[in-house]
Amino acid sequence: MASAPPDVFDRQRTLVRRRSSNNSAPDASATPARRVRRSPLSWVRGGGLSTLIFLAPMLVVFGVFSWYPIVRAVVMSLQETNLATAAQWVGLQNFRHVLDDPLLGTAVRNTLYFTFLALVFGYPIPLVMAVLMSEVRKWRGLYSALAYLPVVVPPVVAVLLWKFFYDGSPTGVFNTVAGWFGLGPYPWLQSESTAMPSLVLEATWAAAGGTVIIYLAALLSVPPELYDAASVDGASTWRKVWHVTMPQLRGIMLITLILQLIGTAQVFLEPYLFTGGGPSNSTLTVLLLIYNYAFGNSLGGDYGAATALSVMLAGALAILSAVYFRLTRSWSTS
Amino acid sequence: MIFSSSDRRRRTVRYGLGTTHSILLALLIVIGLGPILWLAKAAITPTQDTLRQPMAFWPHGMDWGNLTTAWDTMLLGHVIMNTIWLAAGSWVSQIVVATTAGYALSVLKPKYGPILNGLVLGTLLVPTVVLLVPLYLTILHPPGWGHSLLNSFWAVWLPAGANAFNILLIKRFFDNLPREIFEAARVDGAGPFRLFWTIVLPMSRPILGVVSVFAIIASWKDFLWPLLVLPDPGKQPLSVRLPTLAGSVELDILLAGLLIATLIPIALFLLVQRLFLRGASLGGALKG
Amino acid sequence: MKTSRVLAAALTGVLAVGLTACSSSSKKKSSDKGGDVTLSVVSLKPGSEKAAFDTFNAQIKQFEAQNPHIKLQPKEYEWKATTFAAQLAGGTLPTVFTIPFTDGKSLIERQQVADLNKQFQTLPYASQFNPTVIGAGKGANGDVYGLPTAAYGVGLQYNRTLFKQAGLDPDSPPTTWDEIRADAKQIADKTGQAGYAEMTQNATGGWMLTTLTYALGGRMESDDGKTATVNNPQTKAALQKLHDMRWDDKAMGSNFLYDWGSINQAFAAGKIGMYMGGSDVYTSLVQQNKIKPDDYGLAALPLDSSSSGSGILGGGTLAVVSTKASEAQKDAAVKWIDFYYMHKLTTQDGAQLDAKTLAAGKQPVGTPALPIFNKGLLDKYNGWISSYVNVPLPQMKSFTDGVFSQKLVSEPAAHTQELYTALDPVVQAVLTNKGANIDSLLDKANGDIQNILNRG
Repeated sequence: MASAPPDVFDRQRTLVRRRSSNNSAPDASATPARRVRRSPLSWVRGGGLSTLIFLAPMLVVFGVFSWYPIVRAVVMSLQETNLATAAQWVGLQNFRHVLDDPLLGTAVRNTLYFTFLALVFGYPIPLVMAVLMSEVRKWRGLYSALAYLPVVVPPVVAVLLWKFFYDGSPTGVFNTVAGWFGLGPYPWLQSESTAMPSLVLEATWAAAGGTVIIYLAALLSVPPELYDAASVDGASTWRKVWHVTMPQLRGIMLITLILQLIGTAQVFLEPYLFTGGGPSNSTLTVLLLIYNYAFGNSLGGDYGAATALSVMLAGALAILSAVYFRLTRSWSTS
Repeated sequence: MIFSSSDRRRRTVRYGLGTTHSILLALLIVIGLGPILWLAKAAITPTQDTLRQPMAFWPHGMDWGNLTTAWDTMLLGHVIMNTIWLAAGSWVSQIVVATTAGYALSVLKPKYGPILNGLVLGTLLVPTVVLLVPLYLTILHPPGWGHSLLNSFWAVWLPAGANAFNILLIKRFFDNLPREIFEAARVDGAGPFRLFWTIVLPMSRPILGVVSVFAIIASWKDFLWPLLVLPDPGKQPLSVRLPTLAGSVELDILLAGLLIATLIPIALFLLVQRLFLRGASLGGALKG
Repeated sequence: MKTSRVLAAALTGVLAVGLTACSSSSKKKSSDKGGDVTLSVVSLKPGSEKAAFDTFNAQIKQFEAQNPHIKLQPKEYEWKATTFAAQLAGGTLPTVFTIPFTDGKSLIERQQVADLNKQFQTLPYASQFNPTVIGAGKGANGDVYGLPTAAYGVGLQYNRTLFKQAGLDPDSPPTTWDEIRADAKQIADKTGQAGYAEMTQNATGGWMLTTLTYALGGRMESDDGKTATVNNPQTKAALQKLHDMRWDDKAMGSNFLYDWGSINQAFAAGKIGMYMGGSDVYTSLVQQNKIKPDDYGLAALPLDSSSSGSGILGGGTLAVVSTKASEAQKDAAVKWIDFYYMHKLTTQDGAQLDAKTLAAGKQPVGTPALPIFNKGLLDKYNGWISSYVNVPLPQMKSFTDGVFSQKLVSEPAAHTQELYTALDPVVQAVLTNKGANIDSLLDKANGDIQNILNRG
């Protein structure tokens, strides 16, 4: 666990290095809890109790609101329960039920489609913008602020606003603008083929600013000597971008890619508020399906199916997360 | 910088860059600011004008009354207070849990520390979605506590504290603090509590700022969880209340309400812009 | 929860001593300090106007004045398929809440609402309910669990102003589906608004498809609720009608993702010429959407006279009580139901007080409803309140004249909401995809619904 990313901690770290050359080496004066415990009294005196007091908030909060529900999720995925009567063990029946549900295929396909579109829209554009912005000398703050502004708009407000923008009539906001260029009117949310791209467009607008800022930070930390060296070698601008900038960004690009995959696999707000999964299930995502299993039926949810699908989704995401952790570790230590 | 200072002295580069940057700025204004400016315009435009000519500027005059009507009919003052309360409580909960746990794991280092650390980091691998149903049921019947937490702000505050990412950040930061200072303090007779309060906390201001920004943004954005655990309209934050009201309130009033709900975070953003952007660049790089 | 149960038990004890000998509660922790029963009740839908809330609060005061031992806690509430389950599981529903007829049977069967039979039998009008209507609130054992408080039949809502603008006569709304189609096209062509619109989201798509199927004489399930029949010829014809209005006539506007709330909102904003909706929707159009009364028109839904099975879909609202309620709370709950929902329908004083209070708060009085007792009592009721009526009744004449000669068909009996939900995507597909294959969509939906029915 060497350290967090550059930039923020740099100052702190140099400070640390100056003062202590080997803070990670085993300390002779040892922290109290490392001593051999003999009796409860010496344990208290040795600081065992105060350590526990400091750990208490975390133990309680994680115990009740994280560890316990995680275990419960696994248990519930193997049970049938309606909360009114006692739960029954049903083995893998919930999983079979979910896998048999024709909607699962639709939801998985839609989620992958959302992810794919989000990458097509949301991956290259911020990168290009960040590269361009990194060359700005005056008022770079203004550029960053403008790019980041949509991220600050509360997501629910953004969705409700865009829902109005997407009005399918010729006098809708986007259709009016499209009309200036002789285009449209487009159905936007009101067609099976355009609903999903419309959702992704809004999601990209709402999130791209954050990605731009991450890239920008990485770009600005590229050592200028690298560019100078390339210039001395007579490299063209394009070659500099390709051979200096890109390799420096490779790590962070992979990381944003995986973060985006993990984030989009859990997309809920947009389909829930824009289309309710419609038209005709064309925007039904996996998370929306989980929600519908658990809370969609007015007569009580199928919590078994909901948790079973959650567990399966978690399995898929855990693989992605594991990859992500490997990458961040190798990246932050490099 | 891809272009060195000597590059920039060349005319073609200078003009090329200048043009590119002007186009970029124009694009950023249209895309980043445009929708918000449109919202500001529509918020003071009568409904029928917005419906018939959405891109026209006040064909039949402005209607400033929308803003006060929205404030009154949607009870925005109350709803915004709920939102602020939720954010403040989530912030406190996250800071308390993360600093105490980070301190215990990084500085006090109990023997079982690595196990706890593993258990905490392990939760990062579990997407929040998985917890939706069991956590909801836990809120209904918290173990060892007879009361349902439903419709109580605690139902949002406490789960917010179970954030492994914060602990990871803070522990890493504490790991890098100079041990000599702790030793010196111990020699001076400072116990673990004084060490925490007078030395470690004051030194960790930068990381606390970053965690705070994350906590507040996350709380402001949260939708699904408060939707589930705060069914009482009197308790709901903006993110839950606005979609409910969108189904009944007249369009111009709704848009005025949306504008008010947007201006607050934007003002906050402009006020502490640097902290936001720094947090964003760090957060994106790490957050799972 | 523990303390509230103890509290409830204590209150029960006190009341049992103080009032009558209904000491069915086991624990009598009588503390002798005041015998107040607290009861949370449904107030209005979220986002209703302030005047509507003021009026409601006035009624709360009246009740509390008559029943000094009962404290009421009003809660905003709107029954929604998507949120009800969470509220039910979470125990956040008011003690007395309302549900649609369609959910009554299942909730009773699952013991999720309280048995009110004892309290119900004390009501003077207990035996006068329309048998089919009270049937919706009865359990398999014949006990009454839910009291019907309102019944509606689906009618054709239309915008008189758009009719005028399109050159149609607002006083003679369409009486056949061919006329609806022609008028819808004319409205769309002349005004640019949707001539006809349809709900499609949150189970309303299936609800309205069922309504249209009934109007053409089809059924969605066999009578015993064991066999799905949604791929019947009438449903196919219904979808074909929608398809033609949408794609050939382009008469359905540009929004095909309406649910109950958003279609009302769009209608009140003048964006819709006609749509199908419950006969009682005017109240909500006023309270939530501020519709201009002059715009509003309500006509009887045209039925296919060539089919003997054709009828209008009817449903209604049941007032039910949480299973957590103590006997004392159940007593108080039925008193409240009697006062707020029933008194105004059954007694002249109650009807007039209610109408007067509502009218004073400028809330709608006289919205058409179907009888929950019998037509005679409904006519009497309409006479009692006639001087307070403030809704444009003449604009609803076509409905009120026609509806009583129409056959009323109740909603599909088994897994109603699931059936509706499974049909939403079918309706959406027909309206958003020109090439949608109605036959195969319905066959697939029928299979899915059959699977649901098979699970029992």
